[in-house]
Amino acid sequence: MLAASFDRLRAVVLPAAFGAGLLLAWQAVVVLFDYPKVILPAPSDIALALHADLPVIWQQAIPTVRDTLAGFALAAVLGVGLASLLSFSRLLRDALYPLIVVIQLVPKIAWTPLFIVWVGIGWQSRLTVATFIAFFPIFIAMMAGLDSTDRSLVRLCRGLTATPWRTFWLVRLPASMPYLFSGLKIAITLAVIGVIVAEFISSSEGLGFLILKSAALLRTDLILASITVLCVIGLASYGLVHAGELAVRRWQGG
Amino acid sequence: MSTAATSRRTIEPAFASPAAADYVAVDRVRKVYGTGTRQQVEAVAASTFTIKAGEFVALLGPSGCGKSTLLMMIAGLDLPSEGAIVVAGRPLTAPRAQTGIMFQDPTLLPWKSALDNVLFPFQVASRPAAGGNRLRAMALLDRVGLEGFHHHKPGQLSGGMRQRVAICRALVYEPDLLLMDEPFSALDAITRDEMNLVLMKMWEEEKHRTALFVTHSIREAVYLADRVLVMSRRPGRIVEDIRIPFARPRGLEIGETVEFNRICGHLRGKIDHRSH
Repeated sequence: MLAASFDRLRAVVLPAAFGAGLLLAWQAVVVLFDYPKVILPAPSDIALALHADLPVIWQQAIPTVRDTLAGFALAAVLGVGLASLLSFSRLLRDALYPLIVVIQLVPKIAWTPLFIVWVGIGWQSRLTVATFIAFFPIFIAMMAGLDSTDRSLVRLCRGLTATPWRTFWLVRLPASMPYLFSGLKIAITLAVIGVIVAEFISSSEGLGFLILKSAALLRTDLILASITVLCVIGLASYGLVHAGELAVRRWQGG
Repeated sequence: MSTAATSRRTIEPAFASPAAADYVAVDRVRKVYGTGTRQQVEAVAASTFTIKAGEFVALLGPSGCGKSTLLMMIAGLDLPSEGAIVVAGRPLTAPRAQTGIMFQDPTLLPWKSALDNVLFPFQVASRPAAGGNRLRAMALLDRVGLEGFHHHKPGQLSGGMRQRVAICRALVYEPDLLLMDEPFSALDAITRDEMNLVLMKMWEEEKHRTALFVTHSIREAVYLADRVLVMSRRPGRIVEDIRIPFARPRGLEIGETVEFNRICGHLRGKIDHRSH
């Protein structure tokens, strides 16, 4: 018991201490060698920028978070929905699945300018990119999950004269949850990337826009402060998915 | 179809008992896998037999002889290539709601507790899993010795315990026909004896059911069944049909008797007969 809690403490303390050590070394190098702040600001400079420009960063973070979550949610609905649909129809599956796999081999980011041409430079294009990029891992994971359902469980349902819908709802869907959540975890980080890239290309708001603008003004400290906030956003959204997974697991367990 | 005629040079003819209604009638059922003349594999050669209402029949045969295929066809989970199966007076075309099936694996839902797994047939049928049904499920679990394990997940149970849960799930909706496909073959010998006792007890307490038990264990077949059908190696056909004379309730000690071992020896001879 004591050993277990010590292990857990170690798992937290060790990386935290190492990270703190790295920051300290960074700070020391910048101060000792008197690096120009424009090239490499010290952690203290980033902290100051974060403090001073927090209202600006915060304001720009809102559209980024909004587009990320909306794109992710839309991708989840589409990915789970389409995978479920294909699991019901052999014909649809054989017709669509290979195509989707081929499309997914193309670097998704390459489509971004095209989406901007199609839906404009507003939030719509960011949402489209985020949805598009987050869709594939969710869809593929859900397909794998539905396919991996223990055949003997499906046979059991057939023996119990279950309808295909009942079998889907009671067995195939719950059995695919671990797969789905691994897909969702990849998708949420990709959605952030999609939004940032779209903001780079054409936007007048968002953290991607702020980073690009700060680069033009050589405000390296503000870039790194924005990236710090992006880090927090990424962690929080990943945590959100993880919390969802725990909730589903608890619900299934009941 | 003279090939379908079963050898009845038996210790005691199966039809010596007073005629009861045939509950399951398997008529010249044949199963061929694969299409095209070359790839075709005959899994079950034309087989004909009947099971009377309330009878416990064991279908005994070596691995891969097609006995499981035959059981799956009686379950409606597989279709015969030729012939017909009649269950409870109706030609079988699809799985019946009134058949209970036990598979080789317990086939439990890993995310559900033992009790919820037993209640699963009600959930599938959108029937209430509360009230009387729940009480029956709990009582069944207690009777197979799982009191105190109702809320354990399959992952927390041993192989034997999981198969006990599967027995309860197959019995909970009071099926009139119970089909068991080598349910204990993955268990060790000691657990297997234990499971045979549990099944025997459940069976003797719910006498009104008809059962077909597929196994490759001669002793298990003789211990459990009222009647044993022997299936030959692939393509499987019924080569023997004998009645087991032991009175119920049966204890494991009948396995020590001369009579028991004489029947086992006779059956072993029937299985080996065609392989040499």
